[in-house]
Amino acid sequence: MRIEQHPILDFKRGNKIHFTFDGKEVFGYEGETISAALHASDIVKLSESFRTHRPRGLFCAIGHCSSCLMTVDGIPNVRICVTNVKDGMIVESQKPRGGIV
Amino acid sequence: MIKTDLLVVGAGPAGMAASISAAKNGINVILLEENERVGGQLIKQTHRFFGSQKEHAGIRGIHIAEDLKKEIESYKNIELMLSATLMGIYEDGIFTVLKDDKMIKIKPEKTIMATGAFEKYLLFENNDLPGIYGAGAVQTLMNINGVLPAKKVLMIGSGNIGLIVSYQLMQAGVEIAGVIEASNKIGGYMVHAAKLKRLGVPIYTSHTIEKAIGNERVEGALLHKLDSNWNKIEGSEFEIDCDCICLAVGLSPLTDILFQSGCAVKYLPELGGYVPYRDEHLETSIKGLYVAGDVSGIEEATGAMVEGEIAGLHVAGTLKQDDKIFERIKEMKEELRSLRAGPVGHKIREGLSKLYDEIYVEEDEFPEVYDIEFFRKTGTPSEENLKAVMPDEERLNKGPVAVTECFQRIPCDPCVYSCPYNAIKPFEDMNELPEVIFEKCIGCGICVGKCPGLAIFVLNKNYSETTSTVTLPYEFLPKPAKESIVDVLDRSGAKICEGKIIRILDGKAQDKTSIVTVEVPKEFYNQARNIKVVL
Repeated sequence: MRIEQHPILDFKRGNKIHFTFDGKEVFGYEGETISAALHASDIVKLSESFRTHRPRGLFCAIGHCSSCLMTVDGIPNVRICVTNVKDGMIVESQKPRGGIV
Repeated sequence: MIKTDLLVVGAGPAGMAASISAAKNGINVILLEENERVGGQLIKQTHRFFGSQKEHAGIRGIHIAEDLKKEIESYKNIELMLSATLMGIYEDGIFTVLKDDKMIKIKPEKTIMATGAFEKYLLFENNDLPGIYGAGAVQTLMNINGVLPAKKVLMIGSGNIGLIVSYQLMQAGVEIAGVIEASNKIGGYMVHAAKLKRLGVPIYTSHTIEKAIGNERVEGALLHKLDSNWNKIEGSEFEIDCDCICLAVGLSPLTDILFQSGCAVKYLPELGGYVPYRDEHLETSIKGLYVAGDVSGIEEATGAMVEGEIAGLHVAGTLKQDDKIFERIKEMKEELRSLRAGPVGHKIREGLSKLYDEIYVEEDEFPEVYDIEFFRKTGTPSEENLKAVMPDEERLNKGPVAVTECFQRIPCDPCVYSCPYNAIKPFEDMNELPEVIFEKCIGCGICVGKCPGLAIFVLNKNYSETTSTVTLPYEFLPKPAKESIVDVLDRSGAKICEGKIIRILDGKAQDKTSIVTVEVPKEFYNQARNIKVVL
């Protein structure tokens, strides 16, 4: 869910854009991260751990913990918490470790 | 290869302050920032800062970030490189930076590392479930992206970050299931805890999390009580509903790159983990390599800015051989000493003395004035505490008067400067507690909106035959309408009566902290401390 009214902050959002998450269409706004757009659509399970396949979500949101690595436009291991969403982007949850492109 | 006088790594509060203080003295600076914007954690801080009026106190973190950004942009000798990540420090003094998928080489005369910190983790069953976030991540989603991280959050940790982020979540419209603290005392500032309690948020001291409940995402948590030896009390387990568990269990300095550079470090839990050795001007064991801010030990942002300024000035003073600059350093060192001098600074003082292999003597320059043990256990001040700051009957009967419910010594002084009638006694040191000079106070309420801890209230006991008014700060939506009837809450957030809104000040000067005056039955003047708008 997005915050529409806030007692202290004003949010200036960019143009509305669309991208896909595991084939499903999701919308976001220019200037926000992929993780923010996914959370706004209540998508919190981003991928799975590569050995035991436990669900993985966001943790640090500053690009340091590697919990949110996903495949974006075919490139594996993208830190979606520090990567901005773009129109037409293909975002996929990453089950294996991510191979060489 | 790019040559420069000074390379600053990280554009958070410390890095920005360092760049400005060096640039001001004619030093050419390259400021690196791995994010696409400057500000570090400041841009997520919607609360007013503590500290000294001279150093941004009383201003919201987001506005401090804007001010520093403008100042940086005004210097032609600061080159800001955004979305640029430092990759390595080489023996020949070359720094490699990744920007736009290209490697840039920079050779600076001096470097200030202001890389900040990283969130600590906590061990419990299922701690890897989606929905378990660091407090910084929750702030990023909510205060930068404007996205709610969840509907109901369980906060782990009652340090300042846990308390502040809980309050911010409430402002964004998220419910707080509770704040959990393993220690028998609340860790953060009492004023932050009191703010949360007034909203009715339960703070569970001597409790810890045993397990996160859920399969694909967080659906709840299993908690239990701890005894005085931090062991589980068998049979005390209980479940709590939540869809997010927020970890605010401390920060670790981001020293990875300092390790790589070969800089001497030491493990000091008081400072958050591995921290670099440095002298009083923040220069590390590697000559010309400085640190500032959380990377040198976890502290408040105010301290980070002062450290940044000291490091930046020392670089300028050394390169320019200017005595005037060294004079300014002396002042800033005194400022830093004062920030750390009170009871809440003892951890940093202990850590620093261990860093220099000194024997630490726990001796507060400013011992607590009040017994705040009850306050620290519960988040609400004791009856004795409250009695101590209450004016006598005669003064209460005379008309409106300010009461400062500020009982813990923290480095903070904006209230003193806020009063146009000089009715708050001037401080000799910012760790002092406010003292209202009741004869001078006219009860105007200006201080109510200026106190970063939202701990000042104006009481008008004899508003009418049967009613009193209480003036309080209010930072939530919807704002109450004049003449409307609202629920009136006590210091623990419980409803005690209904009240009528008499006045609401919500202009530019209030900067979104509304000053609300509510009329209550006379018997509640000393209990009414919050309102809830009923729709």
